Amino acid sequence: MEFHLSSDEENLRKVVAEFVRDELVPLEPEFTNAPDIFEGSRWKSRVKSSDDPEIKRYLGIMESLEKKAEAKGLWRLDVPKQYGGTEISNVAMIAVTEELEKTAIPFEFGNHVSNILYSCKGAQIDQYLWPCIRGEKTSAFGLSEPASGADPSMLQTTATPDGEDFLINGTKMFPTFADVADFVQLFARLPGTVGHEGVTCFLVDTGTPGYRVARSIATLAGTEPCELVFENCRVHKSQVLGEVGDGWALNQAWLGNRRFQVGIRAHGQARRVLRVVADLVRHEPKAADRFAGRIGHFLGEIEALRTLTYLGAWKADQKMNVRSEAASVKLFATELLHRVTDFALEVCGPSGLHKNHVLARTFRHARATRIVEGPSEIQRHIIQRELFREGAAALALP
Amino acid sequence: MDLKLTEEEKLIKDTAAQFVDRELIAREGAYLKQQAPFLPPGAPARRELDPQARIELKERARQVGLWSLELPENFGGSNTSAVARVLIHREFGRSVLPFRPVSIPRFLFETKYGEPLADGTISFALAFAEAHRTGELSRLQTFYREEPEGCILRDSSSFIANPRADLFLFPAREQGTQRLGLFAIQRDMPGVTIGDEVDLTTDGIVARLMLRQCKIPSEQLLGYEYEAGAVIASEQLNIAARSLGIGLRCLAASIEHARNRVTFGRPLAQRQAIQWMLADLSIEIRTSTWLTLEAAWRADQELSYFEEAALAKKRASKMAFQAADTAIQIHGGYGVCKELPFEGFYREARLMRLLWGQEHELDRARGERFIEA
Repeated sequence: MEFHLSSDEENLRKVVAEFVRDELVPLEPEFTNAPDIFEGSRWKSRVKSSDDPEIKRYLGIMESLEKKAEAKGLWRLDVPKQYGGTEISNVAMIAVTEELEKTAIPFEFGNHVSNILYSCKGAQIDQYLWPCIRGEKTSAFGLSEPASGADPSMLQTTATPDGEDFLINGTKMFPTFADVADFVQLFARLPGTVGHEGVTCFLVDTGTPGYRVARSIATLAGTEPCELVFENCRVHKSQVLGEVGDGWALNQAWLGNRRFQVGIRAHGQARRVLRVVADLVRHEPKAADRFAGRIGHFLGEIEALRTLTYLGAWKADQKMNVRSEAASVKLFATELLHRVTDFALEVCGPSGLHKNHVLARTFRHARATRIVEGPSEIQRHIIQRELFREGAAALALP
Repeated sequence: MDLKLTEEEKLIKDTAAQFVDRELIAREGAYLKQQAPFLPPGAPARRELDPQARIELKERARQVGLWSLELPENFGGSNTSAVARVLIHREFGRSVLPFRPVSIPRFLFETKYGEPLADGTISFALAFAEAHRTGELSRLQTFYREEPEGCILRDSSSFIANPRADLFLFPAREQGTQRLGLFAIQRDMPGVTIGDEVDLTTDGIVARLMLRQCKIPSEQLLGYEYEAGAVIASEQLNIAARSLGIGLRCLAASIEHARNRVTFGRPLAQRQAIQWMLADLSIEIRTSTWLTLEAAWRADQELSYFEEAALAKKRASKMAFQAADTAIQIHGGYGVCKELPFEGFYREARLMRLLWGQEHELDRARGERFIEA
């Protein structure tokens, strides 16, 4: 048994730690009162096309950070070697994000490519995969629908074969960044199929006739997911990602190991929230006395989340079945971040809800994470299904 | 990072699992069975393992290397790693039978008590009563002073959990210097009295260890601050590991029962209320398992591990209580029957949460360190 990172991974972690210390932490004062242009670690949609000089200034800062990170070899970390990436392990990727999350600066190392795009074939590789790796194109993910969310097997959007083409009809809810994306990974079903059968994934370019982004929708979290409408949208069969009728597996693979990133992000955010609380009470002996126990309790829970996250990432690296671990991390992480934030507001009082307060930002963000990418109830369902399938052996030591 | 058990760790775990299945769980039926059809008036008698069975079990455990886990190799012991001890206690935790290897701090084997402890002619217990509240001894109120003819321990009276032992390890602070010392106290030494035994709500007993004008040779002073911290951390890891075993047994039994028990035409396994209890429990088992193993691994690597051990014990023992609570609820009326192990786990886990650091004290200490950092 060995819990240390390998020496290569440890070196990478140190490079990231230095980057955070030298490049990101000094920016913290600048970002404390930044306009509301980011949520979590990502920029909001359409920020990049803004003409506001203040927003442009922040974009300039970010672009220079990107260049510095790229110069230090911190770009394309999770991209396979055959596409010019470093292809580091899941565990190493967790360690990288753990370091990044030590600061509130909303910065991440790109370019993250939707993992299912590695199923691109032939001309798709040059048309979609490479531009995404190079950061020239971005994608959206179209799965949920007005009447199909947690249970995507109920999706109703149809793809009707018509000669060499498919005609797509339906509505997609909540793809974020669809308003600025170059294409959407769209899931539709062949006519007359139900459940997992007949689901097919298409790459549909923005601007294809019959496809329009109807609107973007404001949310509590500050993200701006979109509603997409497809009306007799004609798509050539060469736009199918993977095989016709095999889309369900792609949908299942998409979330993949991102779950563990959700875990380590929540770990870092929750720790930063508790740091805010500690700073609030440090010079007030009575408050420190009153809240020390609950702060300590949450710190322990955060450590538990960390260990669970590394376990899951490690098992994923070993190609073991991680359905339970992934669901456990998602559930535990998002519920914990929510509780920690709720507690922090209790300590801070109403000023914690000032719109630009770090606690207010986390408060808005944390609530949505319990739903996005599979609500807590679905995670519990996945966990119990594995438990009843395998019994307590599901918890056997590796 | 490699979280796989090594071949050696796997062997140890499998040996312990086999011993627990064949020797302990196999005897549970007889141990738990109510002897008479109707009970006499008064509280139920304390359950005790048949003394002959205990002797046999000890011998068999010794044969397969599951006794005296800390015993150094030069005494013919296996000198197991902290990770291995967690794996062993995790298996023993699966049985409600009151039988498990007693931990003896390794430094005691370098003293005159080494041999009698190694061959089992004397028995050993910790007398760390004041460590149970906070999980540490910084506010210890028992003092000693060193004089030319020996150490004089100030009069004291404290509860100990294994009052029938021959040898106790007892912490006290030196007057003035505040230096912590660990004393080996024999029950037959002058000034040492053991009070009447008191039944606990678990099947255990406690009694008071009373020191009156107790003067003992300076050579009985065997350890200092670090040894005391290591003793506490080691007990915390034992509790954490035992809790994991309780959690696994309760989970496995609950899954099995939920599959078979039918209410209103459907098995309990199809009820979301049942499914969610078990899903939540499994997360607690997973997190506690890896906190415990990581803390033990840190101990083996000679990294700091006291805080990690305290957290592992806090979360794991709370998980064990939740596991027993869940198992009782899912087994319904059978759950609280003494012929099934779950009510026993429930009582035991509740006590473990109160030993070697109560939750609110451990939380508070962790929080205070963070606030000050």
